[in-house]
Amino acid sequence: MSIKLSSSVPTDREVVLGILNNSEEALNKLYTGYYPMVLQFILNNNGDEDDAKDVYQEAIIVLYNKIKSGDFELSSKLKTYLYSVSRRVWLKKLAQQSKKISNIADFEDVLIVEEDIEQHEQKDLQFDKMKISLESLGEPCKTIIEDFYIHNLSMQDICEKFGYTNSDNAKTQKYKCLQRLKKLFFQV
Amino acid sequence: MSNEIQLEAIIEDYLNGKLKPEEVQAFEQLRNNDPIVDHKVVAHKVFLDSMKQYANVLLLKQQMDASHQKIDVEAISSKVKPHSSIIVRMFRNNKAAIAVAASFLFLAMVMLYSIKNQTEQDGSFKALNREVSQIKRSQNTLIRNINTNAQNTSVAPAKFGGSGFAISSNGYILTNYHVIKGADSLYVQNSKGVSFKVKAAYTDPVNDIAILKISDVSFENLGSLPYSIKRNTAGIGESVYTLGYPKDDVVLGDGYVSSKTGINGDSLAYQVAIPVNPGNSGGPLLDNNGNIVGVINGKEMKVDGAAFAVKSKYIMEALNAIPNDSLSKRIAYGKRSPLQGLKRNKQVEKIQDFVFMVKVYN
Repeated sequence: MSIKLSSSVPTDREVVLGILNNSEEALNKLYTGYYPMVLQFILNNNGDEDDAKDVYQEAIIVLYNKIKSGDFELSSKLKTYLYSVSRRVWLKKLAQQSKKISNIADFEDVLIVEEDIEQHEQKDLQFDKMKISLESLGEPCKTIIEDFYIHNLSMQDICEKFGYTNSDNAKTQKYKCLQRLKKLFFQV
Repeated sequence: MSNEIQLEAIIEDYLNGKLKPEEVQAFEQLRNNDPIVDHKVVAHKVFLDSMKQYANVLLLKQQMDASHQKIDVEAISSKVKPHSSIIVRMFRNNKAAIAVAASFLFLAMVMLYSIKNQTEQDGSFKALNREVSQIKRSQNTLIRNINTNAQNTSVAPAKFGGSGFAISSNGYILTNYHVIKGADSLYVQNSKGVSFKVKAAYTDPVNDIAILKISDVSFENLGSLPYSIKRNTAGIGESVYTLGYPKDDVVLGDGYVSSKTGINGDSLAYQVAIPVNPGNSGGPLLDNNGNIVGVINGKEMKVDGAAFAVKSKYIMEALNAIPNDSLSKRIAYGKRSPLQGLKRNKQVEKIQDFVFMVKVYN
């Protein structure tokens, strides 16, 4: 029995398993595999390369979250799914820029993905909130929080990195920062 | 303050599942009894989830940017971007539809072609009509390349040759215009092999007729012409013959009138089923009674046995353009030919002295 691994476009199963196991290689293959398809769609519908990159990355995030949340079923091809999400995202963006497009040049079949996109938009909102909150937090709080929650450094590491005399001081500092951040986050 | 810090640490450990079972139990007890603590747990859970999601997406974006770096965006976009030409764009967007349409069109053409091939000659004749200019070009004018060493006055071999016949006893020769077109100098050679210098006295490119006048001093009067020009048009099926110079000696060709019109329905000419070759151009076409019915001027290249001859009527028109007094004993028109009633070999014997090879130098 031989399993044929396509170098350019991975199989859908490979991608799903890869993402569930946090494989960077699988993500890379997915990303490079379907980028031309989305680029073609955007370029043919009033967009440029940068628009294509933004839209495509958003579509991958939607797919990623869907796979990670565990309720993803391989009912359609990933290709079709990514295309449909990218298409929907781009048409929304065009509408926001009040650019109208009379006839959409399509290159693939299209699925209805409204629900997924609505979910994604809510998550995106949270993402933006966190981003804004962190940015308005200021230093050294921002770095301490990022080190602890994003880069998974221990309090001991943070204590050494920032030169606190003892870890209680570091903990107090982190607590203060966290309180401010939570305040900012829940206020925005 | 330190209590607050401790509580926060416990909540976080609780949410991350780092507490021991008995500690969990104790904490949940506290949480149930104290709504403030419960609220803090819920809020912190929301915050931690958001933070986790934020971290994940951030990492994902980094990985995607790394992947994006490896892609040659320009190369791909030049391939997939909308073409400046709307036709190419339409082609790209509708490849499948175009393929279907093209194959349908192809099938339809094949069918039309086969239907056309099945229809009668009438149908194919019409098709020929549409390609007038092409067919005209393919009409092979019967000029012959000759390499003979010309006798008497000529030094270099003639480049082209045709045929011609006398229309008066004092040296007027009728031939095709296309034979002498673009000639520098012209000679005629009789059946005995004697050449005479000639000049073009009259040309009619429309009817493809030219009249030459022998200007050579050595030329002697031919005597009265044995043939006359037929007044009426020849009917289909009328047997005819021609004398000409497809080679260095006179050659007889025998056949019949196959159509009253020439190539492409040309009413100036007959179609004649007669074997002709390059060099026959300008030769007389005679009926069995020795009347000239036309002048051979070409054949159709792709069709066997289809030669063309200018009708005698237009020979008369050309003749009338020459001043009457310069033609002595001119060719008779509509009169009974002296050849009438003679057998073919006797007729040829009498005629061949009046049929000339036309040699063209240019």
